[in-house]
This record gives sequence, structure tokens and C-alpha cells, in this order.
Amino acid sequence: MLTHSRIQGQKGVQGIIIVNSEGIPIKTTLDNSSTVQYAGLIHQLVMKARSTVRDIDPQNDLTFMRVRSKKNEIMIAPDKDYFLIVIQNPSD
Amino acid sequence: MLSQRSHTQFKLTWRPWSLQTGPVCFRATAPAVSQPRVQEPAGPRACQTRAVHSDEAQIQTTSTTTSSTQTEPQDQTSEQPLQQNHQPGPPDLKDFLQRIEETVITELVKNARGHAFDGFQANWGDHSQLVSCLHRLQHPIAQERDLHVTSVSWTCTGSVIACAYGRIDEGHWGTERSYLCTWNLNSQSLRPRQADLVIDVHTAITVLSCHPEKPALIAGGLYSGEVVIWDTSRTQDPVLALTGMSADSHREPIYQVAWVPLQEKGEFGVLSAGSGGRVLLWTVDSEQGRLVLKSAYALIQQQLPHNSSISLKAPGSSNVGVTSLALSVWDPDTFLVGSEGGLLLRCSFSSKTPAAVSTKDQTVTLRAPAVFSFRPHSGPVHSIHCSPFHRNLFVSAGTDGLAHLHSMLQPNPLMSLRVSETYVFQVEWSPTRPLVFAAATGQGEVQIFDLGRRSLRPVATIGQGTARQAATCLAFNRQSSHLLAVGNMDGTVGVWELSADLTEQNPRERSQLEQIANQVAE
Repeated sequence: MLTHSRIQGQKGVQGIIIVNSEGIPIKTTLDNSSTVQYAGLIHQLVMKARSTVRDIDPQNDLTFMRVRSKKNEIMIAPDKDYFLIVIQNPSD
Repeated sequence: MLSQRSHTQFKLTWRPWSLQTGPVCFRATAPAVSQPRVQEPAGPRACQTRAVHSDEAQIQTTSTTTSSTQTEPQDQTSEQPLQQNHQPGPPDLKDFLQRIEETVITELVKNARGHAFDGFQANWGDHSQLVSCLHRLQHPIAQERDLHVTSVSWTCTGSVIACAYGRIDEGHWGTERSYLCTWNLNSQSLRPRQADLVIDVHTAITVLSCHPEKPALIAGGLYSGEVVIWDTSRTQDPVLALTGMSADSHREPIYQVAWVPLQEKGEFGVLSAGSGGRVLLWTVDSEQGRLVLKSAYALIQQQLPHNSSISLKAPGSSNVGVTSLALSVWDPDTFLVGSEGGLLLRCSFSSKTPAAVSTKDQTVTLRAPAVFSFRPHSGPVHSIHCSPFHRNLFVSAGTDGLAHLHSMLQPNPLMSLRVSETYVFQVEWSPTRPLVFAAATGQGEVQIFDLGRRSLRPVATIGQGTARQAATCLAFNRQSSHLLAVGNMDGTVGVWELSADLTEQNPRERSQLEQIANQVAE
């Protein structure tokens, strides 16, 4: 898909996963076992983050999430039906 | 059709038979004897099958053709979706992607260009900046008898350290009794001067290796050429299996034992190598208490591979005495051998060439395993270790005081580092940092090198430099990666805690290691 390749072509992008609202991966560029691992763990994390934001202010909502670690950064764009997860190593 | 048996003679008359049977009945006329007659239930009985139609037909091919298909390489796109490539996905997926595409790309670009996090590191734990000695373990009896520590090994759980006492210098000390001591470093009652478990051994232990999965099993090689497996969970007799002295076993001191995963899942065999030039693979038969020889390899001077750029000097005997052995985690078929004469060879378990040596009394045929020869050292090779992070790299060290970094792909080393002025007894890669390795020297120090630094000097030095305290062996603890055990010639074992920068991996280390490995000359 065109959008895929535009995102994939950015500097340092290691993988892209699209997950549906139940946490099941729909499309991915990584291998199966990593995809399943990422999808399950990140889905829980995003749900927790979203409920945190809304508990603090019910009129607020989560729009974007970035988890930065020693080795790379995971970016999550949430939506009603899908999440987009992008893993990037910015120093690559 | 019913048949009846009885003592009387019956005359049976049958009706004419056809497939379509009507009610079947038959009469039996018996002679006029009053005999008990078997009573049949009254009434006709019938069985009838539906009409079975059958037909015959034949065919014959009148013309034949052959055709075949071949797949062409598909254009590899960067997408490998879980589902089929051709399904476009639900329509709202497209909308979703179009909506968030711009945001995500903006963030990715910002990330790639930004310097916000440069040099920033979260402080999750206590980062010790110092290398310090946590314990100094001693076995007073061994010290009184002036025994050296010949080998240390951590168990697979990382909490127990096993130390072997013997003598490093060869000669007439082979008949001395020696000890195997273990200490549990995680226990509250750790006493550095008293071992938790002491096993007496009738001859000097030269090398130890703990089982990679069972914490109680320790394999050891003895000066007499025997291989022993101890089970430290047994209170009565800790010896689980022995090779004994047979025609199959080593006759010369063993310099290396290693646990090798066998074909059967979960089973491990013991590989032993000694100065007699034999490398033997044993399986453990714990009921009989024996080690059974599975495969045998003999290294003979004449059968070594000759590379054009290397001239192999022929030592006296045709046997190539093995002083060190290393297994590769990446390739279960390969093992590396270093010899007394300085030779460094890559060998294969699956080699089929028979060894050119007399095989009387041998139960298993000896094979010649050597496949490739690296540039020889100028003295015996004491230690080889394959990198846990790169399949082609390994480091080797010997009496020439240098540590050579080799790639499996070429005979000459990639790099040679000056470690000490005297012998280097052991080198080992760090289990957590791809670029770091430690070397135990005859001067008493353990030098730790970091290949990521530009200078070739050691990044840390452990221990004092006195020849009396030569560091004879070392072992990294794989579970608690900040611990390093060092055995000394004065009979003490030091357990050192390494600083955080020696144990924590940098994000770029693997790619740096990859670059070093790719420096292979064409």
C-alpha cells in the first residue's frame, strides 16, 4: 500500500504494524513472532495510557504515543478501529 | 442358510437359489425317531438385498502430452503482510491510514533530525562506576599444599561457583590429590574461607565445565586423562560417571571439556580434548556410571589442511596436542581447536575422513575433523572463545601475550592486541557487551578490552600485578552479568563486580561489531 511505503521509507524505520481495535495484527512488516509480541503488549499499553488521560480530564483523549528506549522508539497512532505502530531507530 | 448340527441325520432339500431370494425355508425330514428336535421359530424369514447393478467399462488413452510449470522469483516488496498481499484490507483501513499518515511522517522526521535525547540516559538502577572485589574465596587446605586454581565455572543458575584446584605447571604434580570446591554466593551464610562443598579427587583437575541446564552437574577433566562428571546434589558419592581408563579414552592430560547439545532434544554430551591429540565426544550413562564414547576425532599432523599462505612447522610427534577447544553457538557443527604447537584449526563434527592412526582396540573409528587452518600462534594456544554476538568472530590467546581477533572466513587475524608481557591463560567474551572481552594474564591481572574504543589499551584492569598471583582462569556469570570470577595461582578465587559501562550494551555496539567482522580481506 502506498502509505506503507512512504512511512517505511523514512529514516531508521525498522517496522510497521497495523493492529485492530482488539489487538489483533492486520498488516505487518516484521516477522510473525515479533508482530504478535508487539501487538499484544502495545495494545495493553495504549489502553492504559488512554484511560489515564481520560481519567485526568474526561474531555481529553489520547492522540499519539511515543515510547523511547535505549535502542529505539516506538510510535503509536491510535484511532477508533485501528492502531498504527511504527518502530524507529533514530540514530540509524 | 442355516446349518444345524444335531445327532440325527437330516436330509435337507434346498430351494433353488437366486440373488433375489424369497422367503427362505427348508425342510428337514428326519427319520422317524423321536428325538428332541431343535425348534425353529415359526414363520418365514427372509432377507433381500436391493438389486445390484453392475457394469464394465474400459478406457484407453489415445494421446499423451507433458507439460510442466516453474515458479519465477517474485518481486520482493518490502511489505509482508500477515494476510494475502492482494487483499486491500477493509476500506476504512485505507481511510485510517490516510488520516494519520501525515502526522506519523512528521513525527518520524522530527525524530530522525532531533537532538532532544542526545546523551540522555535514564537511571534505572544503581550504576556502579567502580570495579570492586566482592569476595575472595579460599580453600585453606589447598593453599597450604600450594595448589593453584586451574579452572572456575559458574553453574547455569549463576549463583554457585565451582573451582578446581590443581597445578598449572606440568611435570610431576600429576599424582597429587586435588579438590573441587563450590560456593553459593547468594546464600546468607557464605563463608569465603570455607567452601560449601568440597570433593576430593585423586589426581589434579585440569578443567571444569558446568552443565548448561542442570545446576548440579559438573564435568571435569583430569590430569590422568579421565573425564569425570560430578553430581553435587548427591550426598553419598558425587561421582556420576567416569570414563575410566580404556583404549578409547585419553592417555594424556585433558585440557578442555565442554557440554555439547546432541541431536536428541535436551540431551548433552561431553566433548573432551587432551594433549594426546584426541577430541572425544561422550554420552552420559548415569545408570552404569560410565561415559560412553560416541564419536572420536584425532588430529594428525599429516592430515591438517594446508593453506597456501601458511607454512606449518612440524613439531616432533605426529599427534597434535590440543590445549584449547571452543564451540560455536551459531553453528553446531563447527568447533575450534588450538594446539601445543600454536596451530589454530576449525573442525567439523560431521567430518567423515578417517584418521591416519592405528585403530586397534578402538570401539569407535577415529575421524580427522580439521577443515581449515588459521595463522599459527608462536606458542601454545591456551584459550579460544567464539563471540556470542557474531557468528564469524572469535578471540584466541596463548603464550605469546597477544589476543588475536579472528574471523572464521580468513586465515589471518583481523586484529592483534598486546595483552601482557607474559602468558595469557584465558580469554572470554563478555556475555552482554558485544565488543568487550577479558583476558587473564600471567602477570596477575585481568585486562578488559573494549573494541569500540579507539585505543588498543585495556579499558579496565583487575587485580594486582604480582607473578605469584598469576590469573589462571576467569569466567563471566551469564545470569548476573556484572560478576566476573578470576582464579589465581595463589589458590584464591576473586569474585569481581564490574562497573555498569562494562556490562551495559550500547545501542550501536552490534553494528560496530558487524563492521569489525566485515573487515575480512578479499
